[in-house]
Amino acid sequence: MRKNSLKFHSHWFFLSPSVLLVSFFYFIPVVLVFTIAFTNMDQVFSWRFVGLVNFLRLFTLKDPLIPRIIKNTIIYIFSALPLTIIGALFISLLTMRINRTASLIFRAIFFFPRLMPPVVWGFLWMWSFEGTRYGVFNSILEGFGVSPIHWFIESPMLIVICANGFLGISLAMLIFTSAIASIPKDYTRAAEIDGASFWQTSRFIIIPLLKWPIMTMTAWHLMSFINSYVYIFLITGGGPYHATEVWALYGYNSAFKNYQYGYGSSIMVILVIINLILLVVLLKAFGMRRMIERSRIEV
Amino acid sequence: MKKIFDKWIIYIILSLIAIPFLIMYIAFFAQAFSKGMSLGIIPQKLSFSNFSFLWSTIPWGLEKTRIWGIFLNTFLFASISGLAVTVVCTLTGYALSRIEFRGKAFLLSMQLILHAISGQILLIAIFFLLLYTKLLYKIPGVALARASLEIPLGVWMIKGFFDAVPWDIERSAMIDGCTRFQIWYKIFLPLIKPGLGAVFIWGFLFAWHDFIYAYTLLPGTVPLLSTLVQGLLATEVVDYGVIAAISLFYMLPPLFLFVFLQKALMKAPIMGGKGMA
Repeated sequence: MRKNSLKFHSHWFFLSPSVLLVSFFYFIPVVLVFTIAFTNMDQVFSWRFVGLVNFLRLFTLKDPLIPRIIKNTIIYIFSALPLTIIGALFISLLTMRINRTASLIFRAIFFFPRLMPPVVWGFLWMWSFEGTRYGVFNSILEGFGVSPIHWFIESPMLIVICANGFLGISLAMLIFTSAIASIPKDYTRAAEIDGASFWQTSRFIIIPLLKWPIMTMTAWHLMSFINSYVYIFLITGGGPYHATEVWALYGYNSAFKNYQYGYGSSIMVILVIINLILLVVLLKAFGMRRMIERSRIEV
Repeated sequence: MKKIFDKWIIYIILSLIAIPFLIMYIAFFAQAFSKGMSLGIIPQKLSFSNFSFLWSTIPWGLEKTRIWGIFLNTFLFASISGLAVTVVCTLTGYALSRIEFRGKAFLLSMQLILHAISGQILLIAIFFLLLYTKLLYKIPGVALARASLEIPLGVWMIKGFFDAVPWDIERSAMIDGCTRFQIWYKIFLPLIKPGLGAVFIWGFLFAWHDFIYAYTLLPGTVPLLSTLVQGLLATEVVDYGVIAAISLFYMLPPLFLFVFLQKALMKAPIMGGKGMA
């Protein structure tokens, strides 16, 4: 009997801080966001339940911006995700072929964005592509006699996709290069002796062996592109005229810019549901149980 | 011959991708240390006038703002967050690595679920939660909220360090009569110092870099370095030189911390025991 009670205490002692913190900052917020979604909460913070009004506004397109936001989100995710995965694969395959020092320099250049705070990364893109002659690229172009280009008015989405895509590339590249480095050299050497080209070695030997890293990175970045809006918020703020506003950012802006907390919550609720569905699918696909090792001491 | 040609093509392709980024980085550094720029990336005159914010006020509209108060705020925010992450993750990581209990598999997969529902999309709810618990607009409360975001991955990270410690050490401690807590405190903490450092840096760095939590949950009167940079960018007249200098100043402390902790913590004690490499 005493043994049992001791066991109970010991693991709950170790787990309680994280369980408390996590339930306070994850579970209560999830419940809260589902609750607020059914109110018309605004800046006076009064709880008045209005039923499905917020969701009807979303689904019956009473909000004229919604089709545009959905289109933006789809364009954003399905351009940034391939850019990240294919770009990272391409860069890591190429850097594996050149000498060590050069490849380290290139990888450092592409990894640098990860070490930067989001604000600084956002600042760099904002400043580089500024529409006046003070923007970095415009002032270089000025040297060649080209008049300033209004990058953010002409292709805001492309800038946002690249800014986020290259941030994704830096992480995916790190994972892929270490995975490639762990492939036994015999495989690629044998292929080279048989006369395989760079393309053939990559396509038929390296990429099949990278199946797991590619899948995990795709899943990871899919989720982060769906959920994260910080970089878009920093670079364009969703503008000009909602051209770069994606679903998550629209939720944030509705709540904290327009003070429609209820409506913003209903937008976020949709995201929470999408994430949960995605997660179930991914956990099924990845086989979560294998990652858990059993403890060997019983007290 | 063909091989050399291939190499050159690889270099050219990689350089073409890298050049825009190099231009951005060079422009950033050059702008911080010079008075003006020509052609975007060529500094005209070396000067430290952009760094005058270190000893005088920041030229930001009509307000007089000093950097060191903001620096202290940021440091406090990041340290609280880092410490919270370290303590919570080390406790939980130990339990998940060493103790067998019901619901462990569920807890472990829970970490992934938490990672999927990112804090960013719960921000509205966290805003209200902090509002009702009177923690909103206060650095410790927001730092705790920020710390909870890093717990899922932090636990996985530290669990790996716990897993690497041989079971024999723990068994012999138990035979000598240590309780679980004593084992955790006296045996494991010294052995996983590098892990502690890694998790602390993890929590500190993300809080130091954090923007959206500080921007949303802290008032404008309590700026952190990140919100300061964003605030400077959002003003009407933008002085890129000063912003570049402040950004550079903002990026340095995590590097120092990393170098400092690296030296202090990589000295793991010599371990004896069966199965120890």
